[in-house]
Amino acid sequence: MATVEIRRAARRGGATGRRARPALVLARRGFADARVRTLGFAYVFALYSFLQPYGYRTAYPDAIGRAAFATSFGANKGLRIFYGEPYDLSSVGGYTAWRVGGTLAIAAAVFGVLAAVRALRAEEDAGRMEVVLAAPLSRRATYLGAVTSIAWQSLVLFVAELVGLLAGGLPAVGSIWLALATVSVVPVFAGIAAVAGEILPTRRLALECGGAAVAVFLVLRVVADTIDGGGWLRWMSPLGWAEELRPFTGSRPAVLLLAVAATGALSLVPVAIGRARDLGTGLVAAHDDADENRRLLSSPLAYTLRTERGAIAVWSGGVAAFGFVLGVVSESVSSAGIPKSVERELARLGSGSILTPVGYISFVFYFFVLVASLFTCAQIVATRRVEADQQLETVLAEPIGRVRWLGGRVAVAAGGSIAVAVASGVSTWLGAAAVGVRVPFGRLAEAGANCLPTALLFLGASVLAYGALPRASAAISYGVVTVTFLWQAVGSLLGVPRWAVDLTPFAWIGLVPAEAFKATAAATMVALGAGSAVVGIAAFRRRDVLGA
Amino acid sequence: MVAAMSRASEAAITTEGLTKRYGDVAALVDLDLSVAPGEVVGYLGPNGAGKTTTIRLLLGLHRPSAGRASIFGVDAWEHPVEAHRHVAYVAGEPFLWPSLTSEETFHFLAQLRGGTDVAYRDELAERFELDVRKKIRALSKGNRQKVQLVAALSTRADLLVLDEPTSGLDPLMGLVFRDCIREAKARGQAVFLSSHILSEVEELCDRVGILRRGRLIDQGTLAELRHLSSQTIEVAFSGPVPELPPLAGVVVERDGAGTLRIEAAAGSVGAVVDALAGHAVTSLTTHEASLEEIFLHHYGAKADGDR
Repeated sequence: MATVEIRRAARRGGATGRRARPALVLARRGFADARVRTLGFAYVFALYSFLQPYGYRTAYPDAIGRAAFATSFGANKGLRIFYGEPYDLSSVGGYTAWRVGGTLAIAAAVFGVLAAVRALRAEEDAGRMEVVLAAPLSRRATYLGAVTSIAWQSLVLFVAELVGLLAGGLPAVGSIWLALATVSVVPVFAGIAAVAGEILPTRRLALECGGAAVAVFLVLRVVADTIDGGGWLRWMSPLGWAEELRPFTGSRPAVLLLAVAATGALSLVPVAIGRARDLGTGLVAAHDDADENRRLLSSPLAYTLRTERGAIAVWSGGVAAFGFVLGVVSESVSSAGIPKSVERELARLGSGSILTPVGYISFVFYFFVLVASLFTCAQIVATRRVEADQQLETVLAEPIGRVRWLGGRVAVAAGGSIAVAVASGVSTWLGAAAVGVRVPFGRLAEAGANCLPTALLFLGASVLAYGALPRASAAISYGVVTVTFLWQAVGSLLGVPRWAVDLTPFAWIGLVPAEAFKATAAATMVALGAGSAVVGIAAFRRRDVLGA
Repeated sequence: MVAAMSRASEAAITTEGLTKRYGDVAALVDLDLSVAPGEVVGYLGPNGAGKTTTIRLLLGLHRPSAGRASIFGVDAWEHPVEAHRHVAYVAGEPFLWPSLTSEETFHFLAQLRGGTDVAYRDELAERFELDVRKKIRALSKGNRQKVQLVAALSTRADLLVLDEPTSGLDPLMGLVFRDCIREAKARGQAVFLSSHILSEVEELCDRVGILRRGRLIDQGTLAELRHLSSQTIEVAFSGPVPELPPLAGVVVERDGAGTLRIEAAAGSVGAVVDALAGHAVTSLTTHEASLEEIFLHHYGAKADGDR
C-alpha cells in the first residue's frame, strides 16, 4: 500500500512536472489568501469605472454641454492632481479615461504593494516560508508562485474594470486599453515592493517602503501634470505611463511595453537576491540588538504610543506633503469661461465648487476627511493584530482591565487623527500662502478640524466591528468607509432620492472653508461615533480573546 | 524503498567544517558531522547553542559562512531542491497557515512535495488523535506540532530533520512519537533529532552530539559518552566508615550512617577499588551516568571554566 503511494509520489515528481507544479500550488494558496482584498478592490474598480461614463452622459447629454465642459476643465490644473492630464473631455471615452485612469492607477499601485509584501515578506516573517522551502522546491518557485498569484489577482481587477466600462456603454477596444493601462500598474509596484522585501528585514518596513514609492511616483506625476513644460516627467513615473496610453483618444498601446519591461526587470532582482541570502533576513540586517530604551513602557497606553508613533508620523507627514502641494496648485484654479449652467451640472459629478482657489481647497479637504477616517480604521486594524498575534493575552494576564487597554488604543487613534487633521490644515495653508492665495489661517485650521467628526464616527464604527466581529473587523472597517465614500457619488448619479444619498456621513460635511462648518451634523457624528465605541468596548469586554 | 537502498552507501547527512557567522557572532563553528541511513542521531544543546542554525544550514535555508553540508551527497545550499526530495522537516515553532484545517495543510504540503503516503498519513492522524477538520488557528501549540509531525512522518522521507519535535506534546503523545521514530528507523530512515529532552534522546538515539556555543564538544554512542564520564559508587560498611586516601579524579561524600558516596571520573574506578580493599564492605552499588548527568557535567564544568 505504502509502496504504491511512494511510486505515485515519484511519478508526480518526474522530470517534466517537477518544475512548474509547486509554483502553481503556491500560487493557488496565495490567491485564496488574497481573495478578500482582491474582491474588495475589484468591487471598487468595477463600480468606479461604471459611474464615470454613466455620470458624464447623464450630466452632459449633448455636444454643446460637453464642449463647454471641456473648455472650462481643460485648463483646471487643480483637478489634474487626482485625475492627471485630460486629453479629450468632450467625449465620454476621453472623460472616463481621465477620471478612471488617474485615480484607479493609484489604487492599483497600492494593491500591488500590498499583494507582493503579503505573498513574500510577510510569509517569511511568519516563518511559513521555512516550512514551504523545506519541501523539494526552489526559492525561484516561491517567487514564481507569488508572481502567478499576483497575475491572477490583476486579471480579476482587469475583468472588473472592463465590465464596469462596458456596462457604462464604452466601446470594447478602448475599454480594454484603459483597463490594461490601469491594471498594468499592479505588477510594477508589486515588483518594487518585492525588491523592498528582499532588502528590508520586516513586513512593516517593506510596506512602508512600498507606500513611500507610491507617494514619490504620485508626486512625480502631479508635478508633470501641473507644471508647465514638465510633461516629460510623466515618463519617469509608472503612474504616468497609465495616462500616456491615452485610451479612447488615440490609444498608444506601445506604452504598455514600459510596464512589461519594468515588471520583467524588477522581478529578476528578488530572484537574484533571494538566491544568495539567508531566509528570514533582508540584505539590510534587522536591528536585533538594542540599548535599553525605557521610554513609553510605563503603561499599555504608553506602549501603544511607542508602537504607533511611527504610523502617526507617516500619515501626518504624508498628508502634510500632499496638503502643501494642493495648496500651491490651488492658485491655478479659476472659473474663467465657465458658464453658470455648467457650474450647476458640475455639482452632480461630485466636484461642485472647484472653480475658485478656495472652492478647490474645500473640495480637497473632502479627500482629507477620507484620509483621516482611513487612519482611524488602520489604528483599529492594528489593534486587532495585537490580539491576533497573541500579545494581548500576555497584557491581559497582568492586572490590566480590558476597558483600560482598548480605551488606550482608542485614545491613541483619536489623538493620531487630530495630528493628521492639524497637518492637513496647516500644510495646505502654507502651500497656499507660499503662492499668494489669500485664505485666513483660521479658516484652514477649521477645515482641518472639520475632518475630525467624520474620522471619529468611523473610529467608533471600527471599534464596534472590532468588539463584535473581530475576525471580520478589518474588512468591515475599510469597507464601510469606502462604500459610504462612494455612495454619495453613486447616489447622486443614479438619481437616488435625496434622503437616501444623505445616509452617508460624507454628505453631512460642511465643506469648510467655502461653506460654513455644520455644527449639528458634526455633533451628531461625534455622538454616534462615541456611542458605537462604547457599545464596541462593551462587546469586547464580554467576548473571548481570539487568536488569528 | 528502492531509492533508500541505492542510497544506503551514502551518508544521510555529512557536514565538513560547517560554519555560520551572523555579523560578529559565530553561531556555528567548524561542525563535522555524519549521519548514516537508519541511524537516529540526537543533537543536544541548551537554548542558543546553535541547534536551529545547524538545521537551517542542513536545509539550505541559510548560507554557510564556511564549509559545506550535504544530504545524501547533494550540497544543501547549492542544490536544495534535489536535497529536499529526501528530507522531511519539522520546524521548531509550528508556524502554519491559520486559515487552513489540518487536512488542508496536509494536502497543501503534500502537493508541494509532489506526493505523500496518504494511507499512512491517515493512520498517523488517528494515532496522534488529531481532529483534522479543525483550523490551525483553533489548535493549541501541541496540536499544531502534531500536524507538523504527521505531515513530515507520512512522507516516509529518507531523512527526518526534527527541531525539538515534542515541545508542547503531552506524555502520551510523546510515546506515540517515540514509536513512530522507532518504526522509521526500522524502515531504514535516518533521523536527526534536535532536542533538550534528554530522556527522549537517551531512549531513541544511536548516537548523540552535544553542542555548546556553536561548537560540537562531544559526540559518540551513549556508551562512549559514558565511558568518558564519571560513575557513582555507593559503598556500605559493616564497621566504622574508613577514611580513604585522596585520589585523583575522585570525590568522596559521607552519606549518612555507614555509607560513602563516591564520584569517580573516567579511569579512576580502579584506584577506588584498590583503596576499598581490606575494608569491611557489605554492599557496593554503581550506576552509570545518565545522559542528564553527562550533559550537566559538560555544561556545569566547562561553563565554570569559561568565567
